[in-house]
Amino acid sequence: MHFLMMTLYATITAIVSAGIAPNLHSNRDRLVYGLKVFGMYLGIGLVLSWVLFAIPRW
Amino acid sequence: MQTKDDLTEEFAARYAAIDDDAPKAYPASKRMLAVVAAMLVPGAGHLVLGKYGRGLLFFATLTGAFILGLSLHARLFYPLPSPTEHSSAPDFVGVLWFFAQIGSGFCYLVSYLLGLGTVPQPSAATYEYGNTFTCLAGLLNYLLMYDVYDIAAGRKR
Repeated sequence: MHFLMMTLYATITAIVSAGIAPNLHSNRDRLVYGLKVFGMYLGIGLVLSWVLFAIPRW
Repeated sequence: MQTKDDLTEEFAARYAAIDDDAPKAYPASKRMLAVVAAMLVPGAGHLVLGKYGRGLLFFATLTGAFILGLSLHARLFYPLPSPTEHSSAPDFVGVLWFFAQIGSGFCYLVSYLLGLGTVPQPSAATYEYGNTFTCLAGLLNYLLMYDVYDIAAGRKR
């Protein structure tokens, strides 16, 4: 559930980020940029979740 | 061999081409109309400026995010601190949530008029997810307003 929500969040944010990014003149550039943003959201989210998982709870 | 006049004409042609390619500012009335439209309906500002593809994409994405949030049991927050379901103390953080949600314009207003999300359901498992998505829609629409203004002012295309 949490991963699904994170994916949806990353998708929505990536679409808007790619749509408003300056200096991107073609749809292909925007698509590539959007996919990068999407991947970074998911990747950083997963890394952070494992880092937090490794930190013991007091 | 090129003469000075030939070079001047060549440079003039080049600069004219660059100038044609540069984004242009829209008239002040259209600029204002676009920003107000963007404020009221996500993506409408881009439609006013003739960016139809982007406008429809933003409308579908942000309206969809708000509807998704409501379907996940989001609640609507209000501009004045009010007692929460947990305590009688004023909920100042809720005011910040309100400013995030109201950014989505008509989505918030229509939901309020239809009574959607007016009854908080914090016991629902997806309550926090829902609040997050409704706020995401509003906050991203604030970004779109800036984008519309930049396009209308000729700073970007």
